Amino acid sequence: MKRLIVFLIILGTFALTAHAQTETLIRNATVLTVTQGTLQNTDVLMRNGKIAAIGKNLKASANARVIDATGKYVMPGIIDCHSHSMLDTINEGTLSVTSMVRTRDVLNTTDVDLYRELAGGVTTLNLLHGSANPIGGLNTVVKIKYGRPASEFLFPGAMPGIKFALGENVKQSSRPNLPGVPRRYPSTRMGVEETIRDAFVRARDYKRTWDEYREAVKKDKNLVPPRRDLQLEPLVEILEGKRYVHAHCYIASEILMLINIADEFGFKIKTFQHVLEGYKVAKEIAAHGAGASIFADSWGYKIEAYDAIPYNAAILTRAGVVVSMNSDSDERARRLNIEAAKAMHWGDLTEEQALKLVTLNPAIQLGIQERVGSLEVGKDADLAIWNGHPFSVYSRVDTTFIDGDIYFDREKDLAQRAALAKERATLEQAEPNKPPARGQSPQTPRRRPSGHEDDAEVEKP
Amino acid sequence: MGIWLPMPKVRSRLLVATLLLLLVVNPLNAQRSAIDTYAITNARIVTVSGPVIERGTVVIRNGLIVAAGANASPPPDARVIDGTGLTVYPGLIDSYTNLALPEAAPGPSPGGGGGGGFFLLQQQQARPPSGPNSTQPAGLQPEVMVEDVIRPGGNEIESWRSAGVTTALTLPRSGIWMGQSALINLSGDTPQQMIVRSPVAMHVGFTPLRTGAYPGSLMGVFSTLRQMMLDAQRYRDAMQSYERNPRGTRRPDTDRSLAALIPVVDGRMPVVMVANSEREITRALDLASEFKLKLIIAGGQEAEKVAERLAKQDVPVLLSLNLPRRTTAALPEADPEPLRVLRERVEAQQTAGKLAKAGVRFAFESGSMTNASDLLSNANKTIESGLQPLDALRAFTIWPAEILGVKDQLGSIEVGKIANLTVTRGDLFERNSRITHVFIDGRPIDVRPAAPGGPPQGRNSLAGMWTVVINLGQGDRTISLTLQQEGERVTGSISGPLGAGEISNGSASNTGEVRFTVSVNVEGQTKEATFTGNLANNQIRGNVTIVGAAPGTFTATRPN
Repeated sequence: MKRLIVFLIILGTFALTAHAQTETLIRNATVLTVTQGTLQNTDVLMRNGKIAAIGKNLKASANARVIDATGKYVMPGIIDCHSHSMLDTINEGTLSVTSMVRTRDVLNTTDVDLYRELAGGVTTLNLLHGSANPIGGLNTVVKIKYGRPASEFLFPGAMPGIKFALGENVKQSSRPNLPGVPRRYPSTRMGVEETIRDAFVRARDYKRTWDEYREAVKKDKNLVPPRRDLQLEPLVEILEGKRYVHAHCYIASEILMLINIADEFGFKIKTFQHVLEGYKVAKEIAAHGAGASIFADSWGYKIEAYDAIPYNAAILTRAGVVVSMNSDSDERARRLNIEAAKAMHWGDLTEEQALKLVTLNPAIQLGIQERVGSLEVGKDADLAIWNGHPFSVYSRVDTTFIDGDIYFDREKDLAQRAALAKERATLEQAEPNKPPARGQSPQTPRRRPSGHEDDAEVEKP
Repeated sequence: MGIWLPMPKVRSRLLVATLLLLLVVNPLNAQRSAIDTYAITNARIVTVSGPVIERGTVVIRNGLIVAAGANASPPPDARVIDGTGLTVYPGLIDSYTNLALPEAAPGPSPGGGGGGGFFLLQQQQARPPSGPNSTQPAGLQPEVMVEDVIRPGGNEIESWRSAGVTTALTLPRSGIWMGQSALINLSGDTPQQMIVRSPVAMHVGFTPLRTGAYPGSLMGVFSTLRQMMLDAQRYRDAMQSYERNPRGTRRPDTDRSLAALIPVVDGRMPVVMVANSEREITRALDLASEFKLKLIIAGGQEAEKVAERLAKQDVPVLLSLNLPRRTTAALPEADPEPLRVLRERVEAQQTAGKLAKAGVRFAFESGSMTNASDLLSNANKTIESGLQPLDALRAFTIWPAEILGVKDQLGSIEVGKIANLTVTRGDLFERNSRITHVFIDGRPIDVRPAAPGGPPQGRNSLAGMWTVVINLGQGDRTISLTLQQEGERVTGSISGPLGAGEISNGSASNTGEVRFTVSVNVEGQTKEATFTGNLANNQIRGNVTIVGAAPGTFTATRPN
């Protein structure tokens, strides 16, 4: 036990010093800046959480951490525009409109998937509500500051967002019809449209009620304010352009439908998520100004996914749409670099275009492009050092930085494995961990959400 | 059952003599004795509020402590208990229980025939108590008051008293707004006699409704809590405005649920939120800060990880002594347990000591443990893991009295306080010590020796390993079921093709009705299954309902 405590203290001190280090110099790397091309034999200096300089033969102060990255690559931290990691619950599926629920309320900073994502060079996540209902809950944009409190995960200044969803998931097409079990409205795509339109009509009325009150209260101070409605407040923010809509969708007709509703009420769809038939209406999506956040090459896993093609990213990009490649899966999130690389194979995007799919483009889609998404002086020091080109399947991440602090380090990970094994051995001998003489059977491993489904009903074990 | 009128202070010697005789004839009725003056002499007295009196006398009269000290002497009319070799403590307080609550209402037994499955299912879920004419569904009714449903007596109360507990905070079993708790003494013939203070606090649990209605997720629970507190603030303002000027103001609709929340959002009534992990506690703290609530944490397993914030915001913890431990057998083919789980079990024992060092106020509670004797033995584990023994005692006495607002009545041996005493041979926390006497409201209580080796396995007990054959309409599936029974409460676990897990809401009536719920794995999805059945001839037969699936049947057997 004593040894365990000593070990924990050492670990704790290490974490503290890691956090306190204010300057890091990466020497002699191949730097994929994304916006200013690929720079050979270049140094990157990080100071106080920001990129302080990019260039040759940079000087750091005496106490700076210096990393020799000869033969290695530096890439901006990957941004996943569609994630459900670290959410204790993903769907509030009881109602068709759940704009009152917030993913911020259910963050789990200890989710080990976060660490695995850091090991894949990912630094920022767009945590979305599931797709159980036409208007879902509010999103949270986080930096993966694994080991820090939830309040430090929140991405400062990220635009608030909300999840919408269309199609099979929200009309619950795959739910069995059971006698006596009422189906939740809507169960057709017509009903989905009506549900969303109805919600915005109510939001418009709600906004008017408050506007009228704010006028009236100037004359009569004793007026009781209208009821605050947490369901309608976010919809008012959408109408006022203060909240981004991230809309899960598949087929061309429903994409056009949502664009029509947005035009009718005067707001914009920020991203269409999945948007498997986006290539059919690429011009219309571009004209609306929406982005598309897609899978590289998933198709056929449900009826509405039959028309998907792997050229989606290329066609949408060429039509002028800001495209990102997302994971929607804790597993796929570890290898988004490869998802981006596929776009060079399917549709011949340039390396820079492909890199943007997981860096600058998702940053634009989340309103954080001034802070992250490329390696530029003044931007946040969120980046990863790869031991080869990130578009090679043989490459892996050595070190991941967020705000200049190390959150994943392969050497450290390997070094602490022995200590962890020792800790486990000690803990297993502790009284509360000893198996009872006669107890229940251990849990069978539960099915993990697979990478080939979207997030309709999937809850984490 | 005798009905006893309040005792006049002066009464005839004859009556006293008669009752004394009765006492001798029937010692089991001691608690209803008319004697109201007792003296425990020559005992070690741990006052908690002051220094330990190594040899002294405690005098109690008319339900109160009237003297305690080295020089106190027993009055002539007192019944004297020789306390040589005994130690007198203030009665222990269990700060979070469901004691004195009626058994969870069993749903109607699912009859044959199809149809109506969903509604049947809704009725069969364990229902929180529901108030009449509420604007809110069961589970979201803050107006529910536990004092309206408590009942005296019962096995559970008896076993808790025998473990040295004289007073308990009791609250409804479930719900999001669970309702308002009461602090009760664990004796008395009527609910009214038991209540020390009510309401004590509003209670919040974060378990979603399981009826299919909103909120069905943790996210929805938070939003619902927020919306109702906002509504309560507005209700308060609207009512005040109306009362100031009823003529010419449109009358607001009355709403008992929102009315019950006004003292909560005004910060007058404390809110106890169930939170064990670091993140659950942080969320509770965030919600409380958002609405300026007077927060108390219940459970608190990882509270030391948030200790700094708890101390800074002066948020007390009702700390569960239901310490986690491994329940699964060692099987070579099983995956190793995650390091996180191994750490949690060890660290849970250290939480109390760390909280005390960090200056976080806390009180012990039993955390729905089934065996009351674990209370003291688990407290002992927290002492072995760093808690000072005196602080462990305080966490059972004066600290809960302070946190629950009864420090003038309970929590220490001081003149004028309620005569709740726990008397032991040996130190309270020592393994071999024995509780010899318990006084509640100045009356001695029969102490039942704790059954060694776990709960009794009576002939009608459900305890044991069962083989359960389940038919969900697609052939039989066989799982194993391990049950333990303590009174009407049933705990245990399942394992087999439907997954493995602990059962919850388990109950058994003395007529043989059994019910429990458990999460099962059906077609790759985790779902809630409710089992209701009857025990007869060493068999349980009944029905199983799974949310979103057709109802089925089950038969459980065990070796004779």
